[in-house]
Parts: sequence; structure tokens; C-alpha cells
Amino acid sequence: MFLRRLGLGTLIAARLLLAYHPALLHLQDDAQLSSPLTSYKRLLEGIFLFQNGVDPYTGGTFRHSPLLLALFSTAFPLSSTTAPIIWLAFDLLGAVSLAKIYHSRTQARDRNRNFVLVAFYLLNPYQLLPSLARSTASIENALSLLASAFACSGKSSYALLALAFLTHLSMPAVLLTLPISLLILRGPHSSLATPTAFHSWSKLIPLIAEYSIYVGILSITASSIAGGVHWSYKTWGAFLTLPDLTPNPGLWWYFFTEMFDHFRPFFLATFSIHMAIYVVPLSLKFQHDPLFAAYIILGIVGLLKPYPTLADAGLFLTLLGVFPEIYQYLRTPIVTALLHLHSSLLLPLFHKLWLSQGTGNANFFYASTLVFALANGFAILDALQAGLRVGLGTRPDGWELVQI
Amino acid sequence: MGASQGVVRQLMLRLPSCLLALLLSFLAVGQQTNPVDEFFTRTSSTHTNNWAVLVCASRYWFNYRHMANALGMYRTVKRLGIPDSNIILMLADDVACNTRNKFPGSVYANQGRRLDLYGDNIEVDYRGYEVTVENFIRLLTGRVEDSVPRSKRLLTDERSNVFVYMTGHGGNEFLKFQDNEEISAFDIADAFEQMWQKKRYNELFFMIDTCQANTMYSKFYSPNILATGSSMLDENSYSHENDADIGVAVIDKFTHHVLSYLEGINKTSKANFKDFFETYNFETIRSHAGVRSDLFDRKLEDTLLTDFFGGVAQVEVMDIPPNPSVQEPLVKPDQKLAQEGVDDAFPRSIPRQSLSHVNPPGMSGWRLWLGCALMVGLVLVVGVFRG
Repeated sequence: MFLRRLGLGTLIAARLLLAYHPALLHLQDDAQLSSPLTSYKRLLEGIFLFQNGVDPYTGGTFRHSPLLLALFSTAFPLSSTTAPIIWLAFDLLGAVSLAKIYHSRTQARDRNRNFVLVAFYLLNPYQLLPSLARSTASIENALSLLASAFACSGKSSYALLALAFLTHLSMPAVLLTLPISLLILRGPHSSLATPTAFHSWSKLIPLIAEYSIYVGILSITASSIAGGVHWSYKTWGAFLTLPDLTPNPGLWWYFFTEMFDHFRPFFLATFSIHMAIYVVPLSLKFQHDPLFAAYIILGIVGLLKPYPTLADAGLFLTLLGVFPEIYQYLRTPIVTALLHLHSSLLLPLFHKLWLSQGTGNANFFYASTLVFALANGFAILDALQAGLRVGLGTRPDGWELVQI
Repeated sequence: MGASQGVVRQLMLRLPSCLLALLLSFLAVGQQTNPVDEFFTRTSSTHTNNWAVLVCASRYWFNYRHMANALGMYRTVKRLGIPDSNIILMLADDVACNTRNKFPGSVYANQGRRLDLYGDNIEVDYRGYEVTVENFIRLLTGRVEDSVPRSKRLLTDERSNVFVYMTGHGGNEFLKFQDNEEISAFDIADAFEQMWQKKRYNELFFMIDTCQANTMYSKFYSPNILATGSSMLDENSYSHENDADIGVAVIDKFTHHVLSYLEGINKTSKANFKDFFETYNFETIRSHAGVRSDLFDRKLEDTLLTDFFGGVAQVEVMDIPPNPSVQEPLVKPDQKLAQEGVDDAFPRSIPRQSLSHVNPPGMSGWRLWLGCALMVGLVLVVGVFRG
């Protein structure tokens, strides 16, 4: 146990020291690790503009929530010494929440497992690199894990409050309301193998109302910070109208660079609806295990959201550690792993080839984002079918499994 | 004797100063004329800006030398100071990017390929099939459609010296454009007359390198035109040298002669046209190059090469005495300006000094703290009442 604690301490200390390395400042510019909505440089720009008497929401650079603006101008001032500590704190929050989720789900105090989960969360390159790049996607990850952890513990108000904070940072998190509320009502215990129906749907309404109240209060707070409601057009509006077409590992930007203005509203609506339509069916299908539903929805949102980063895919992969019961039913884990390896190498390569060297063009990078999407899609579908397969149980010898 | 010698000596000593005084008095009398008029009636050139129209009128790969002629002239004219905005370069074909070009993107005018004329900083204004007789005449006369961009217009004025250079295949009083049409000497003469009527040139220098070139300037009738051609009636103009790797002739003899001569001068040169025309000889050019200067009212020895080939303007700095009837300045110097410096005169959107004390529009420091307090308060309230 002492060794475990020592290992954990060493890991955290090494991680903190690594964050101070000057060469890592280049990561802040990387498009895979931070999107226009999560970039550290834009956060600093917004704070600077505010401190020099300019409303940061009048331009197009600053798209963070006013809550972050307030937090990082006053309580947690950002500098080259404090920022790594702040981001490490959020990472630790996420790691502790992850361990809590696992503990709530399996009810076993497996400290080894906890250590492995925490270490994996801190070391997963999909999450380590955005954190070193000080992308606020790490904060979003930490908050979604925190919301899930509170929901698993039954602390409904904390969970919904965390979710409200998360919604202010990243609007697609509103799609998590239904699974988190179900999780609060149903509990996190693994019942993939023994699916039972959920009957108290009407109890969802007070939870969703409470969540809406929290979001409303936070919106009033944000409006009082920003001195108006124009911040919502720049932050939440960015998810709906896609004003910034900076290349990112997502699927939206390339499509909309060559979109005629006439069709733009239609396709924006289509893409947004596409992201939203999976929530209700998945919640219904996995009503017996809402944590798994939340997991799959997290994956889908990470795949289909307007401005994703690697952190979104990383969250999905890390959370796979919470569901060990589906491992034996995963059919294409090697393909998924290799696709992720492939895309994680191609994405920065083609980005540099296109935008730094000029020897490639946008299609190279777009192809690598397609591979990345394929990797994510494989992971989601594999986990999904494994989750369903668990419910069918082990196949006895001499019997066949047939879909009718 | 001694006294008179002394007087004579005194006079001799004082003579230079007397003469000087006499001279200065003459000059003082002469200074009554308007210095501005003097500027424009001197024997040196009276132009204030230079333009060049360089036309290569033939297409196809085997007319590489005509493109090289025009590009060589373009380079020289640019080197001597005419900016791209004042040069209209018309190339009827693109040999640099021709599939037969062994050195793609480059055009050379000498046998060893020592100098790339195409480079990466040239502006071709009329290219390919845009080089037509109609476009050329419209360019000269200024009768272009509204949609024609500025870079394709000849925006000359009354004080512009225009250099028109044409090269291609020609004959007795005609020049072939694009292998399917011709411009005649009468057309060019009428175009120049229109230019004169519309005050579109101060002086015009016309140079043409084709077969029987001198016939092309025989029909001019407008004043202030100086013309030269590469060969006379019934005489061919010849190409100068081939490059073995390019496979075709790369420059013509007459243009090569002109460009070699111009390589020897720079912007400050005082070389004049008389000396330049005297270098024409049959042994190097292999044809009888001609000059027409009867329409040109200045003497050739007073006309500098840079008056047409270069972008050198004549400048005289004059002292204009202050006119006592001039009003007070329209803008009173602000007292505040004198004290506080330039910042207030040129307000910036983000003022130079740090403005922690100035309230930004709609946002203030207290709002941030209020926001933080509200967030913390919400967390506490939720924790207390619903935890």
C-alpha cells in the first residue's frame, strides 16, 4: 500500500514537473489538443482584453464562458507558475472522480484497480497532452467525471450542479442530463447482465427542473459578469452556428468550409440533431444501467460535437476501465486500438504537413480526422454491442446465438 | 609711374570681385521670372512620370525569342526605375510554362542561360489571347470598358513619357498579332494621334523589332514622337543566338544590341539618344536599323535614355517665399497636445497606458468578484440545503 502511495505521489510530482518544461509551451498552439473554444491562449487573450477595458465578447477570439473569465481573473490568476498547478488540480479531481465511479459501480475496494485507473487517467496521452497544453477540455472532462461521480454516490444536487457548470463550459453536455438523472435515480451498480425495466420516469422531472434552475442561475451569474447576454451568442452560439472553422479533429469543420451559405442553416440543424437523437434511445435501451448509457452518450457526443479535441476521445477510452464486464465481449479491440494509434500519429503529421510545410493540403488532414472518427466509432459501437451482449449471458456449449 | 602702377594693381585685384558683382546683378535681374515656368521650359525633359507598353505579338514555342525580347525589355525598364504599376506587359503566349520548355518557369535570353527573365516577380498584364489588336488600341487610346482593371489600363497624363516597344513578325507597314490578325502602321499612327489629342503623353518613344520594322513608324504624324526600328523596307530582322538546350532562338539581334547597351547604364546615367543611335551598325545588327526624329522637338543629344527607359523624374527643390496673405493654420495647435504629447491627438482603441482605473464599457472588476461570489454562493447553498 505504501508502494502504491509512493507510486502515486511520484506520478503526480513527475506530472507537475513535466508541466513546467518550456518546450511544452508549443503544445498550446496545437489544434488537436485545444479547439477555438478551449484554447489556453484565447483564455489569456480574453482576460487581457477585459483587464484593458475591452469587452472580450465583442470579437471572435474569446469563446470561453464568463464563469471561466471570472474564475481565472480573480480567484485563480493564471501565470506560467500557477497554470500547471491549476490544471493538475483539475486532473486530480477527474482522477479521484473516476476512482469513485468505479468504486460505486463495483462496490469492491480494489485499491490496485483504483491506482491503475488514476494512473491511466493521468498518463493517457489523449488526456495528458491536452492538460499539458492547458486546454480547458481538461476542465470539462474533470467536471463530467465529477458529475458522474456525484450521481453514482446519489448526491443529486451536486451532480446536477456540476453538470450545470459543465453545460456552461460546453453546451453539448446538456445531452447528458437524461442519463445523469437516470443514474441518480437508478444507481451505478452494474446490471448489464440482468436488465430490468425502469418504472419511475416521472421522478425525472424534478431533477431536470433542478438542473434547469441551476443552469439559469449560472446564466444570470454569467450575464452579470459579462454585463449583458451577448456572451451566449459567442459561447453557446458557437456550438450551434459554427462561426470558427479552425481545423480540429472533428467532423464539422471540413464540411462547413465548403458549404454554401444557402444550405448552412439546414446542415447546422442536421448535424446538431444528429448529435442529439441518440440520447433518448440509448437512455431507454440502457435504462437498467444508466452509467453505461452515460458512457456511450459521452462517446457519441465526443465523436459528433462541433469542436472536439483529443480529450473527448480520451475520456471515452479512460472510462472503459470502469466497465470490465464487457471486455470479454469486445469483438474488435485490436482494430480499435490500431485505428487510434494510426489516427493519433496521422493527425499531427498531416496537420503539420498541410499548415506548416505546405506540402499537403486540407484533404490529408481531413482524411486523418475521418480515421480518428472511425476509431472513435469503432470504440463506441464495440462497447455498445458488448454492453448489450452482456445481457445475453454466456453461451452454453452446443447452443447458437441468433438474432431474430 | 609708381602711383599709376599701384592703381592698376589695385584695379586688377579688384577686377574679379567687380565682375562677380556685375554677374550677380545680372542674375538678380534675371530672377524675376517664375521658377515654375523655368522648370517646364528648360531643355531637359518636361515629363513627371514614365510609362512603358511592352508588346510581344506572336505566339507559339518557336517565337520564344519574341517573348524573351519583351521580357528582357521589361527587366531593363524595371531596373532603371519604372514600377510595375506603370508597365503594361503584353505577352501573346506563355513560353515559361510551355510543355516544351525544358526549364519550366524560366525564360532565358542568352545562350548560356545565365539570367532568368521570368523569375518570380513579374507582372504580365495582358496574357495569351488577351493580346489582340483591339485590346492594344483600346489600351493606348484609353477607351476601355468599365470592367477593365487598373492594372490593364494606360493611365498616362499630359506629363507622361511613354515607351512603346513592339516585337513579333511583321512586314511592310504591318505587324502580325497572334497569327490571325494584323495591326497596320496607320492604326498605330491614328492611335498615337488620339493619344496626343487626349493629352495622354508628353513624349513618346516607339521601338519596334520585326522584319521591315522601319515601315511601321513611317506613318506617324503626331508631335513629340521619337521612333526607331530594327530593319528597313524589304529587309529581315534576324535572331541573335540559339540555346542548344532550349532548342529555339532566344533573342533577336536588334533587341540584344539595345539591351546590351542599356545594361551599361543605370538610373543616374546621362547617356543620351544621339550616342545611343550612333551605336547602330550593320555588322552587329545585320539589318539597317532606323531612327525617326522629325516629329521630336528636342535635340537627341539633350534627350537622356532614362527619359524613356527609366523612371527618373526631374526634381528641383525651390524656396518659395512665404506669402503674407496666407491665412492662419486651419487647425489650432492644441494646448493640451503640447503638454501631453501625441497620444490624445491620435486616440487608440486600447490606450497606451494601463487602464486599471478606467471602467470598461459594461464590464468592471467588481463584476468578476460578484460572479465568483455568486458561483461560490450557489455551491454553498446547494451544499447546505440539498446536500
